[in-house]
Amino acid sequence: MANKYDVIIIGGGHNGLVAAGYLARAGKRVLVLERRHLVGGASVTEEIFPGFKFSVFSYVVSLFRPEIIRDLKLPQHGLTILPLESTLTPLPDGRFLYRGNDHWEAMRSIAQFSQRDADAYDEYGRNMYFMAKAVKYILGIVPPDPTSFKPGELLGLANLARHFLGLGEEKLYLLAKLMTMSAADFVAQWFESEPLRATLSASGIIGTFMGPRSPGSAYVLLHHYMGEIDGAYRAWGFHKGGTGGLADVLARAAQSFGAEIKVNAAVKEVVVKNGRATGVALENGDEYQADVVISSLDPKLTFLKLVEEKYLPGDLVESIRKFNIYGSSGKVNLALDRLPDLAGNPMQQLGHASRRLMAGAISISPHTDYLERAFDNAKYGEFSARPYIDIILPSMIDPEMAPPGKHVMSCFVQYAPYNLNGGWNDAQRDAFGDAVVNTLAEFFPNIKELILHRQVLTPVDIERTTGLSQGNIFQGELSLSQLLFLRPAAGYARYRTPIKGYWQCGSGAHPGGGIMGAPGRLAALEVLKEM
Amino acid sequence: MKKRYDIIIIGAGHNGLTAAAYLAKASKSVLVLEKRDVLGGAAATEEIWPGFRVNTGAEDAGMFQDSIVKELFLKMHGLEFRQSDAVIFAPQVDAPALTLYRDIAKSQQSIAQFSQRDAARYPDFVAQVNGFTAVLRDMLLQTPPDLGTPHLGELVSWGGVGLKLRRMGGAAMMEFMRVLPMPLREYLDDWFESDALKGALAVDGLTGTMQGPWSAGTTLQYFYQHINGFLAQRAVAGGMGALSEALASAARQNGAEIRTGAGVARIQIDSGQAIAVLLENGDQIPANIILCSASPHHTFFDFVGPQQLEPRFMRAARNIVYRGSTAKLILALDELPRFVGQTDGGQLHGRIRHAPSLLYIEKAYDAAKHGRFSPHLVLDMRLPTLADPTLAPPGKHLLSITIRYAPYCLADSNWENEREGLVTAVLDTLAHLITPSPHHPISQSPNLLLTPADYEHQYSLPKGSIFHGQMSLDQLLVMRPVAGWGQYRTPIENLYLCGAGAHPGGGVTGAPGYNAAQAVLNARGS
Repeated sequence: MANKYDVIIIGGGHNGLVAAGYLARAGKRVLVLERRHLVGGASVTEEIFPGFKFSVFSYVVSLFRPEIIRDLKLPQHGLTILPLESTLTPLPDGRFLYRGNDHWEAMRSIAQFSQRDADAYDEYGRNMYFMAKAVKYILGIVPPDPTSFKPGELLGLANLARHFLGLGEEKLYLLAKLMTMSAADFVAQWFESEPLRATLSASGIIGTFMGPRSPGSAYVLLHHYMGEIDGAYRAWGFHKGGTGGLADVLARAAQSFGAEIKVNAAVKEVVVKNGRATGVALENGDEYQADVVISSLDPKLTFLKLVEEKYLPGDLVESIRKFNIYGSSGKVNLALDRLPDLAGNPMQQLGHASRRLMAGAISISPHTDYLERAFDNAKYGEFSARPYIDIILPSMIDPEMAPPGKHVMSCFVQYAPYNLNGGWNDAQRDAFGDAVVNTLAEFFPNIKELILHRQVLTPVDIERTTGLSQGNIFQGELSLSQLLFLRPAAGYARYRTPIKGYWQCGSGAHPGGGIMGAPGRLAALEVLKEM
Repeated sequence: MKKRYDIIIIGAGHNGLTAAAYLAKASKSVLVLEKRDVLGGAAATEEIWPGFRVNTGAEDAGMFQDSIVKELFLKMHGLEFRQSDAVIFAPQVDAPALTLYRDIAKSQQSIAQFSQRDAARYPDFVAQVNGFTAVLRDMLLQTPPDLGTPHLGELVSWGGVGLKLRRMGGAAMMEFMRVLPMPLREYLDDWFESDALKGALAVDGLTGTMQGPWSAGTTLQYFYQHINGFLAQRAVAGGMGALSEALASAARQNGAEIRTGAGVARIQIDSGQAIAVLLENGDQIPANIILCSASPHHTFFDFVGPQQLEPRFMRAARNIVYRGSTAKLILALDELPRFVGQTDGGQLHGRIRHAPSLLYIEKAYDAAKHGRFSPHLVLDMRLPTLADPTLAPPGKHLLSITIRYAPYCLADSNWENEREGLVTAVLDTLAHLITPSPHHPISQSPNLLLTPADYEHQYSLPKGSIFHGQMSLDQLLVMRPVAGWGQYRTPIENLYLCGAGAHPGGGVTGAPGYNAAQAVLNARGS
């Protein structure tokens, strides 16, 4: 029968594709169903304006697991990650903080704000590198169940405990601090100058509904440090052709192992018979059967939309309802006539082309209070009047992203709360876009003249396009209450669901969001154990 | 030559006195040194106006550990608790007042004015808080484990806590782990829908902390404040100072000496060992062991001195977050105030709260976060004269108002400039809550304001932090006061901490004092 598969994966985001690759590689007949006309989910590249290609949603790659690259032979399928080599923090007064590949240059740049900070910088880096390496361990394991008395589970817990106790006392405490502190307080233990403090702690707020002074944001900061490119930690990368390029590589890899991918195939529901998932029904009426159905969608969709509540225990439904997914970020994609000027003319200050400064990430994070005030707005249902913006110009790294001489500018913006007072509409979207452009203009004085096109995406737009609930890129807050064996719900953290043959493999499962592929891989390996 | 004591305790706050009583009971010669003329530190009662005796710091002894009351026979030393039927009275500006009682059914009736659903859920909520705090209570009177080189004894006793946790059952244990690190907002939102109820409840979880209900970890602080059970508050006859006096009496009876007006200048250290205490008046008193109930800040930076400590420890100690945000306004009243929505006098016997919603609280916190106090203040009030009329002349009353959030660090100002503004803000907020009296306008009553700066200078609370350091998740257990030094010992041999800056932290529990005394006795094998 043509419509019968071993495994159906709902959603062709990067985690769905990774799972497909692993399962197909193991000889399973796999079908991936994607609602949109292209695969990638939140990691897609689209030519929004003629000649200008954008990584529309997710824009950097760094957390991607090296074992997946190896196992799925991704380089053979065109994996090309180009490093983002620097972070620039421009200040309104024209000064700037620049941390690039040249270590001494970075130290000098930090020292213009504080010599003490420059002295502490290496130690901080070493600590974070070490902690990221230590925590990386949990990215590779299925979370053990702390309530179980089964020998296997106790062993898993003991291994976890041994791993962390093995770090040594001092590192263990540092980890405890990372798990509980606010990013601002954590960073302030090392540094005193504001542009550095703010820019470092900004990593703790990306994708979350927390401010730099919110306890818990230090963990998110670490989460962003876990990235690895060719074995080098904390390097951000950009995939050739945008993040969609990565999705295409994953799709080709899965297909090379025999997986089938269907786009324009929106799943309406999972078919459940006698407490067992037997396949899926599409919006267009088609049905496909499979022994195993895996959802890569977020927990709200996986449990509350794709299946009927009656198949699930009440406590799970309750937990998933309580599972926090807050839409907090927006995206503004700009097509520029040429490279904008940086305020303060750093070209003269540095004695070489300012182009180089703009080849990496540009962080609009002049002060911790600036970021915190941006969050204050969001807390009360407004978008930030002066937002935190994480900018990259992909055309600086990959010239094919824009026509010759022209540029694309990707602005990740916080905060844009999903639940905006009065709701999002066209006028609000424009006002949000204006707030972003006006903020940019403080740092790039001529930017307004250079904008050829602008695409403004609110969390509602992101939700509508990608399907992600509230437009949250992590499929759920990375808070202590929602990590490890609590992600997405106590008792259901191991990719299984109460419905036999129905599994989850999205970022809403352990270990969480970011383009890392870990949930997809771990889920596939768990599924294979039972097939 | 001066008499050499087995033990000198710096500071006669309730923790210092608890430690003194236990150590004296174990036949040690003990000397307690107190800088002020009053005992009790931040748990003291002082005569501010003739005939008016005021709790200048803590107002409530609900967290004090009953095992200490029993073991030290504090009731024989004059300690008397007074409990009221009403525990929280929350007058609302445009709605009936919310009153929570010790009696759950009676509370439900009041909650039902706001939400039937919340009223129905309330008993389960109370049961959950009681269940979770019962587990936490076991951690209170235990020294946190040494993670570097754990001892068998520690592992057994902390393993016991773990087992108790597991015995709650899988679902409850998971829920416990899920909710502990949560922001209080999320926890209360999970349970209730009424703003009035959530606001009134939340204040407990935010006591003494520069965090709002949106801050992760405030749920644990909420449970901590209910360590003896949900809303188990109680006043002390004679004021909070009477608790300290009872502890002092127990200590003295066992042979301890207590000297007031004896400010400590330095702890004398020889080859890394604490050997004596040098008083401000120049006296030097030798001791085998010194316990310091002052904050880690005062202990390490004033009494010990940076040159005695290695840089890594110094840096960690310097990074302790204090951040005071509590002020107190005390009013001497000629008559009992009448609050809006009040139906009977009994309602006023517990705490009287103004925190109409979580959002209101968060906004007050936000203002403080940016170095200002909000005109819309969170007020947690008490009429201590209702529990004990002898605290004021006949017929007169005291209204004691704990003010949140009044930040220690003011943006572009200082507390001398802002005192008057804060008093006005409190009185303006009160004007909406108290029915005006034609004879005795509250604004003309004598008042005493204690700002975070006053708490720092007069009560030695660094940055006005009433808990000797914020009770956030990163400053608890083995991380309190400094990671790796959670066992009351310090890098200085024979110097121990016994105040709120050590595990389990602030609040009038007696636990740090008790635990430190045990640590000293165990270390000496006596």
